Amino acid sequence: MSSVPVARASRGGRPPSLVTRRRVRGIAGLVIGVGGFLLVWTLLSALIFGPFTLPPPSRIGSVMWEIVRSGQFIHHFVPTILRLAYGFGLALLIGFPVGYLMGTSRWWRAFFHDMTIVAGSIPGITYAVLALVVFGIKILGPILSVGLVSMPYVAINVAEGLDSVDHRLVQMSDAYGRRRASIVRNVLIPSVAPFAFAGVRLSFALAWKVEQLTEVFGSSSGVGFQIRHEFEDFSIPGMLAWVLLFVIFMILVERFVLAKLERYLFRWRLEDRP
Amino acid sequence: MATLRVEHLNKTFPAIERGSDATTAIDDLSFEIGGHVFVSVVGPSGCGKSTLLNIVSGIETATHGSVSVSEDGSPARLGYVFQEPRLLPWRTVMQNMLYVLEGEDVPDRARDYLRMVGLDDAGGKFPAQLSGGMQQRVGIARAFAVEPDLLLMDEPFSHLDAITARSLREQLQGIWTEAKKTVLFVTHDIAEAVQLSNRVLILAPGGRLFADLPIELPYPRKASDTEVAMAQAELLRRFEEMQEETDAARATDVAS
Ligand SMILES: Nc1ncnc2c1ncn2[C@@H]1O[C@H](COP(=O)(O)OP(=O)(O)OP(=O)(O)O)[C@@H](O)[C@H]1O
Ligand SMILES: [Mg+2]
Repeated sequence: MSSVPVARASRGGRPPSLVTRRRVRGIAGLVIGVGGFLLVWTLLSALIFGPFTLPPPSRIGSVMWEIVRSGQFIHHFVPTILRLAYGFGLALLIGFPVGYLMGTSRWWRAFFHDMTIVAGSIPGITYAVLALVVFGIKILGPILSVGLVSMPYVAINVAEGLDSVDHRLVQMSDAYGRRRASIVRNVLIPSVAPFAFAGVRLSFALAWKVEQLTEVFGSSSGVGFQIRHEFEDFSIPGMLAWVLLFVIFMILVERFVLAKLERYLFRWRLEDRP
Repeated sequence: MATLRVEHLNKTFPAIERGSDATTAIDDLSFEIGGHVFVSVVGPSGCGKSTLLNIVSGIETATHGSVSVSEDGSPARLGYVFQEPRLLPWRTVMQNMLYVLEGEDVPDRARDYLRMVGLDDAGGKFPAQLSGGMQQRVGIARAFAVEPDLLLMDEPFSHLDAITARSLREQLQGIWTEAKKTVLFVTHDIAEAVQLSNRVLILAPGGRLFADLPIELPYPRKASDTEVAMAQAELLRRFEEMQEETDAARATDVAS
């Protein structure tokens, strides 16, 4: 498709100083934020809690390094990520059709409305426990809890997106004799996409927490399982190291995968506000 | 070229709230146009001009009466320039053109018509990167590119600056003379109607046909031509007549 060079060309057209300045400001913010966090942590560890209750960052850092080096990291991350992905896939698989029904028919909207509100306001831990009780310790528990937690967000946002479709663009398409399938592809899907994406990002932030919780309660592998394992060994550095590794991983996914994807998909919208 | 036949057309929008009245946008409107003509519809804001085009294009349905568009018995192809550009914001200018086009050498055709409106370089841009006037010109290029039998235009120049509008008006005369299209052109600018069209329909508030006037002047016409200015004065006089009549009708309405 010709769209990739287009995006590049237009980005090149912007004054470079602005882009550079924004990037520098972003990096400076990140450094100050992380630096400040580590400083407060070090101070708390040294002055208030003591190194045994709250080990300093350096100690956690070396444990983290050990986890990565020994291969433990890969061993436990892979199942966690897979469960997250499957659960999320499930949420999209159900959330999209439900959202479509809600967005296109008043009857279905009424039917699903309260259900999605209820499903969205139940605390994550309930899903975690429920999924475990019903589906047991096997792999299905975490997947299902992720799916259940994310689905309402996806559905509501898709429905919302369909509400926002510019009626006049559909009229234009009709006037030019476009077919239904073409209108869906060229008008409806692009209108819904930003909303669906917002729903995905929002529920992603929730989903991984619930998934961890499910793994803590009952699983024989995964990051959550390791966190509990370290806890039972009274190893605070080990526990914190796993938590931190996971948090860093999620931030990287958020920043470099989801945010980049969003920038690319919606570049037509970002163009006019540099 | 196509034949458009409008017979006893009525369009009433139902009241949305209880207690408010239904709106009659068009009331018993009949006319017929066909062949190589440029027909303008003028009238004050809210007199049903856009509604008329929407019914002709099939976007909206008539409450009563009928509208038929035919091209030698077969269904006619329509082009529609809307009051706003109505481009897909997530598609580039070129993709917007291709969206409505079908058949062979489509990219070439799209490029030709973009060149016609002076936007040969804009094909790779997104609508948000263009000025309002440029977006409107893409809308015009799109309507011409489908090579329609009947071209509907709804105040296509009203959002443009005077200089761009003037040059596009001159271009439009050239294209219309050459491409032999049937054009139904909506405007509230009397000078524009006189300069472009060989027939003017004046609509009164409530969507009634008030007058149907021919303008027999040779093309190309300039806004500054003496004959054009005289025809304008004549049309303006009829327009004022219409306004006086509606004001009088309103006064008796209030009195009774
Ligand atoms: N979808 C709608 N629902 C209800 N009323 C409508 C609708 N569309 C138009 N109307 C009403 O019909 C009348 C005619 O509207 P229309 O848009 O055709 O006017 P217009 O002549 O194009 O005006 P303008 O010159 O301002 O564009 C107006 O009174 C308007 O309020
Ligand atoms: Mg209008």
